[in-house]
Amino acid sequence: MTTGIISEPRLRDRYAIVGVGNSALGRVPGVDSLALLEQAMRRAVADAGLTLAAIDGIVSRGPDDVYTHHQRIGQRLGINARFSTTLDNGGASQILAVALAVMAIDAGLCTTVLCGYGRNSWSRTHDNAESRIQTELIPQEQLPREFAPEYGYFGAVATHALGARRHMHEYGTTREHFAHVAISFREHALRNPEAMMKEPLTLEDYFAARFIADPYGLYDCSLLSDGAGAVVVTSAERARDLKMQPVLIKGFGTFNNLRGWTADRNMIETAARQSGETAYRMAGAAPRDIDTAQIYDCFTGMVIAQLEDYGFCPKGDGGPFAASGALRLDGALPTNTSGGQLSEAHVEGMLQIVEAARQLRHTYPVERQVKGAETALVSGHGGNTVCHSTLILGAGV
Amino acid sequence: MSETSDLPVPVPSPETKPFWDAAREDRFVIPRCESCGHTWFPPSLACPSCGAEHPSWVAASGRGRVFSFVVYHRVYHRAFKSRVPYVVAVIELEEGPRMIANVVGVAPEKVRCDMPVTVVFEPRRDGIKVPQFVPAQS
Repeated sequence: MTTGIISEPRLRDRYAIVGVGNSALGRVPGVDSLALLEQAMRRAVADAGLTLAAIDGIVSRGPDDVYTHHQRIGQRLGINARFSTTLDNGGASQILAVALAVMAIDAGLCTTVLCGYGRNSWSRTHDNAESRIQTELIPQEQLPREFAPEYGYFGAVATHALGARRHMHEYGTTREHFAHVAISFREHALRNPEAMMKEPLTLEDYFAARFIADPYGLYDCSLLSDGAGAVVVTSAERARDLKMQPVLIKGFGTFNNLRGWTADRNMIETAARQSGETAYRMAGAAPRDIDTAQIYDCFTGMVIAQLEDYGFCPKGDGGPFAASGALRLDGALPTNTSGGQLSEAHVEGMLQIVEAARQLRHTYPVERQVKGAETALVSGHGGNTVCHSTLILGAGV
Repeated sequence: MSETSDLPVPVPSPETKPFWDAAREDRFVIPRCESCGHTWFPPSLACPSCGAEHPSWVAASGRGRVFSFVVYHRVYHRAFKSRVPYVVAVIELEEGPRMIANVVGVAPEKVRCDMPVTVVFEPRRDGIKVPQFVPAQS
């Protein structure tokens, strides 16, 4: 079932992101995830030059224990919706939300959709001593009851580190390659006043840091953050009447390796490949057309694997590609130009969409702007590590 | 209280109980489809390959290789505090299925991908035993 799909070019450039917003990011004690998301959503609507009266759709998501999340956020915003729902696909949900918004508008169910995600992971894990030990954000009753806890197998770090180890074994990828991913994104964060991480990161810092689950050390791991992001999606036709330059949705794709992370070659060859192929086909684009990438950087090695699987370099060459400086703002493929989840804030891929849109609008000061950025690729990854989504955006006129 | 009595034990489901019951007797069994011969892990109701229900339980060789592994340095659960650094691995069994286990009886820095391993049984509380893997005798 991995071949034969023809994604729908009919949707190319017919829908647009017309407003983006983010909440306060980083350490925001005393504010829950719904309040953060409300802030981001109100800012996105204002950014579009709209009022909430224009919003008739919501696709939202929050921490996993909020039931019918979209209702809770709609209540706070004080609006009803022709179409609203909550998604459950881990870090792949946020791009899926944009895709679902396009599909709902295209089906005539609604006209203008707010998509957003918020979390308060820093506050939840720094509340007290007990929460510092148990950084697992999945509700206790959903954790595995066998084939994991008896082996001391806990947490997303180790799961992803298993993939990193096998990648190192098969392709000669090294921890120094991982370090260059973290260092490149840190350089970007230093240009972003909202980023959590404020200090430069060196190779020495990287190797001096403690191991979490070898081969991953502290700087291979994304941040625990409070924060939210949101975007407004509507038709390209409606976008022409709005104040901001629209960001066109050129293509999207999803693929989920539901057989699991340890099955087949899923921990080395990610679903970025198939979800990327679908998105490229819809967009009529190829890797060489991408001016900036915003890659789901839960861990450094996942960036390397995805860059390969998206075709930015041959399979197995992602490590040397990162070490060549390609990911830097002046590199061949400026990547995670806000600092990403490793150095800006971890909002499960939502801020990656926001950053791609901002780069394509060319509103950043020159020291943060990807020169001549016309096309951006965004990735989402999660859902027990095997669910993937891809979004290709283009600068509107 | 000894360390062993604090370590988490599996909470079997009806589908996995035969696996854990066999482990109590130092037997290492996996589900095999009566219809197509496929073996798989973790155990589930029906064959993921052909959909047939009612798998039989067959003795696996207990031999396999380390597909990948990590070395835990961070303590996520108090009972593992005295075990860090410890190895969590994906073991690819000779029969094909993969499972999570610890690689024990070897220093973590000596563990390698594709290293041959063989099963042993680690006693936990209440007679429960957990399959683990040690480097195979060459």
